[in-house]
Amino acid sequence: MNKKLLRRDRIGLLIEGVIKDGVFIAPSISERQVVYGPVKEASEITFDYIIPRNSFKDFLFPQTEPVARFKAEKDAVLLEEVKPRPKETVIFGVRPCDAASRASLRSVFTWDFKDEFYTKREERALVITIACTKGDDACFCATVGISPEGSAGSDILLRETEAGDFTVEKVTGKGGSFIDAHPHVFEDSVSGCALKEIFNPEPIGGVNLEKIKEWLKEKNHYENPLWAELSRKCVGCGACTFVCPTCHCFDIIDEGTYASGERRKNWDACQFEYFTLHASGHNPRDTQYKRWRNRFMCKFNFYPEKFKSIGCVGCGRCVRVCPVRLDITEVMAEISGQPGQGGS
Amino acid sequence: MAAEHDLKKKAKELLTKGEVKVVIGFGWNRAGTRTTPVFITRPEDTDRLVFNPLCVNNLSLYLTRKFKDIQALGRPAIVAKGCDIKCIAVLISEGQLKREGVYIIGMTCEGVVYRQELWAGMNPCTRIPEDIMPTKCHNCDVRNPHISDVTIGEKSIFTPPEKPAGMVFDRIKEIDRMGAGERWDFWMEHFSRCIKCYACRQVCPLCYCERCITEKNMPQWIETSAHPRGNLSWNLTRAMHLVGRCTFCGECERACPVNIPLNLINQKMTLIVKDAFNHSPGYSTEVHPPMIVFSPEDKEDFIK
Amino acid sequence: MDNIYLPRIVKIEDIYEEAPDVRTYRLVFEDKKHAESFSFRAGQFGLYSAFGCGEATFCIASPPTRKGYIQCTFRKTGRVTSALSELGVGDAMGFRGPYGNHFPVEEWKGKNILFIAGGIGLPPVRSVIWTCLDRREDYGDITVVYGAKKVDDLIYKNELSHWEEREDITLVKTVDPGGETPDWKGKVGFVPIVLEEAAPRPDNCVCVICGPPVMIKFSVKVLEKLGFDGDCVYTTLENKMKCGVGKCGRCNVGDVYICKEGPVYTAKEIKRMYNDF
Repeated sequence: MNKKLLRRDRIGLLIEGVIKDGVFIAPSISERQVVYGPVKEASEITFDYIIPRNSFKDFLFPQTEPVARFKAEKDAVLLEEVKPRPKETVIFGVRPCDAASRASLRSVFTWDFKDEFYTKREERALVITIACTKGDDACFCATVGISPEGSAGSDILLRETEAGDFTVEKVTGKGGSFIDAHPHVFEDSVSGCALKEIFNPEPIGGVNLEKIKEWLKEKNHYENPLWAELSRKCVGCGACTFVCPTCHCFDIIDEGTYASGERRKNWDACQFEYFTLHASGHNPRDTQYKRWRNRFMCKFNFYPEKFKSIGCVGCGRCVRVCPVRLDITEVMAEISGQPGQGGS
Repeated sequence: MAAEHDLKKKAKELLTKGEVKVVIGFGWNRAGTRTTPVFITRPEDTDRLVFNPLCVNNLSLYLTRKFKDIQALGRPAIVAKGCDIKCIAVLISEGQLKREGVYIIGMTCEGVVYRQELWAGMNPCTRIPEDIMPTKCHNCDVRNPHISDVTIGEKSIFTPPEKPAGMVFDRIKEIDRMGAGERWDFWMEHFSRCIKCYACRQVCPLCYCERCITEKNMPQWIETSAHPRGNLSWNLTRAMHLVGRCTFCGECERACPVNIPLNLINQKMTLIVKDAFNHSPGYSTEVHPPMIVFSPEDKEDFIK
Repeated sequence: MDNIYLPRIVKIEDIYEEAPDVRTYRLVFEDKKHAESFSFRAGQFGLYSAFGCGEATFCIASPPTRKGYIQCTFRKTGRVTSALSELGVGDAMGFRGPYGNHFPVEEWKGKNILFIAGGIGLPPVRSVIWTCLDRREDYGDITVVYGAKKVDDLIYKNELSHWEEREDITLVKTVDPGGETPDWKGKVGFVPIVLEEAAPRPDNCVCVICGPPVMIKFSVKVLEKLGFDGDCVYTTLENKMKCGVGKCGRCNVGDVYICKEGPVYTAKEIKRMYNDF
């Protein structure tokens, strides 16, 4: 394929074409923050952002959705299966860290049992990523091995030029077909487009991912008093979990009555006190440090070991949104600095 | 800064003498760009304590019953601004704390920076510009702490305006002018963005129920789904449970990841309670919040 | 499309009150074709729906050797079990399963089997007991040690009597001290103590144990003392579950997902887990 260019003033045409039968998701400003959401016109899109507040998992795995409906009639219960029929969705303006979370979500939602609520949405999604030309002190993608111009999880990768347009790189076959299908939008590019400099995140001092993984593998480190110390200020909300691109825990609940109602799948967070509460009253994770420890271990031990996937993409959303600024990179640095195997 | 120096000295003294076992205060994050709660248990660590306009958290949260790990550390001292002390007063009036169970280090305060990203690069010792102070600071009458065991910092000579003023109150007036339908649409639009993360509840020192009503499932009073019905029932219920108790510290709105203007609801209710019961929460450790007591003098003019 | 969260409708064919607040339901699938093709292995569990209230996780208490129905035994504890307790014969429930791993009964051919259970921990063990009894010639000695707080709390009372009468199975019944009635003929003492007195031999023996965590903890200590290897002691763990298929992230004990990699584990495997109980 020849080198392609996407002019900023052509994006409107792209949106027009997509929203005929599908949905175009892009970052826009809402209530003083940049969020991913459906747009109808190019003027709604903002390009001046580091990363939207929400992750694009919102569109592959919604906060709440019905999975079944039931109704009691005479002696029987009628069960209606809910079949999601997602529209073709273009998610535009994704950052490389977000895109990298796709593999993690896919690995858990297809583990033996295929969750079609996720897979059908993912099949119909086209991810257009824009490489990062700026960041802030909460970004730490490079520390976890993700590049600010990485293409993992994207279908198309855009890089911004000094002129404000984008060079276009096809990453997957699906991305290629999309580019071919919109020749009036993705033009052949002339050589010599000066690219804006890609953001170079400072590596977080003292953080060593390998050391962390080794330390976490030691079973007796699970009881280390460091966990309580580092997570003491955690208030136990779900803000970090809900904005995180790789967090996917959910709850299944019934709404309504026996006579008629709905079964829904809703986001849930291991940070909530009653997440693991048994009906008997026993709660394996009854204090906040145990819950926080679970979150950290899940990201840096359970998921990498189980699924060989990344549990944390370094987007920094949890750091920005935490009401008490409990910074996961500070915990990573503390653990990296702990004595190794056999130590305390 | 003199206040910070005095604070460190006092904290060290309290810990060395054994008067308290932990000092709950503010410290810098690793990058030195934000303040964050710290729990100092050793006298030699008191150098970590700071106090500046970035110290926006309401630390009285950590005195509540949910934080059993912190209660287990022993008698706490708390670094508190006037607005934080108001919450402590309400907690004491509701029987959640004993006055002698906490050593209050009252800090005089000339306002905080509501959203710390607005502060970027400024020197913490400078006076903060008025336009990045939240509304609560513009109307604060407790810049000199009203209840404390020791007060640290230069005395403030600020007098708040006669009538409450600022962005929150301007917006409340705007909403007051709306008709019922318009008001409903306004709130439903905001609540539709709620993701049920419960950050508002978790940072609120007065939401201390060990089992929140949303966590009760026999029956499930509040639906946990983030659809309009579930969001409305959660936000309304929380608002009603705070009536007459909320001290307008603003933490809930600051913590909300989707920027729902919770201050508007909470402050509007405070105005209603002031009008109906002549009560302002947070000034006395003795007076009970009006919604939990009945007085024959209570107005009944709303009964038509 | 295969909706993995969609339950199948089952009808309650029979209800048996085992003990105060404990019932056994006998369930048949409404879809006859599915009923015929349905099979499971001893130790697997399902998620049972009370429509309008939610789902709860119980093991399948009937043995896989008996076709045409499944049984579940549960105690009325919380929201879903209370709603299930309100249902009657002929009412509809939901069932999702079978999920999880199973007891490797085929590997136990020729061995002696020792079953230890306490209180409401008997249902998963009962499934294995009957699987072995239905193929009695495949196994050596079968011994069951079962105890409950008091006589009334013993479940499957009619089956206990039946096992006592059989010659090819040894049953040791016990109740906690203070739980006996004047006409009680079984033992009196906590299960681990009664177990130690019975002193079963570890040679060529596999042990299946299920019950309250404290009972398991002390019984496993006794078994170790008696010379049982951690590889030969099997138990079934339970944890709060919602999806049952390894996605909702709730039932993990450290890095082990009880719904996918359990609920059946050996004592050796449990020792290796993170202390996330």
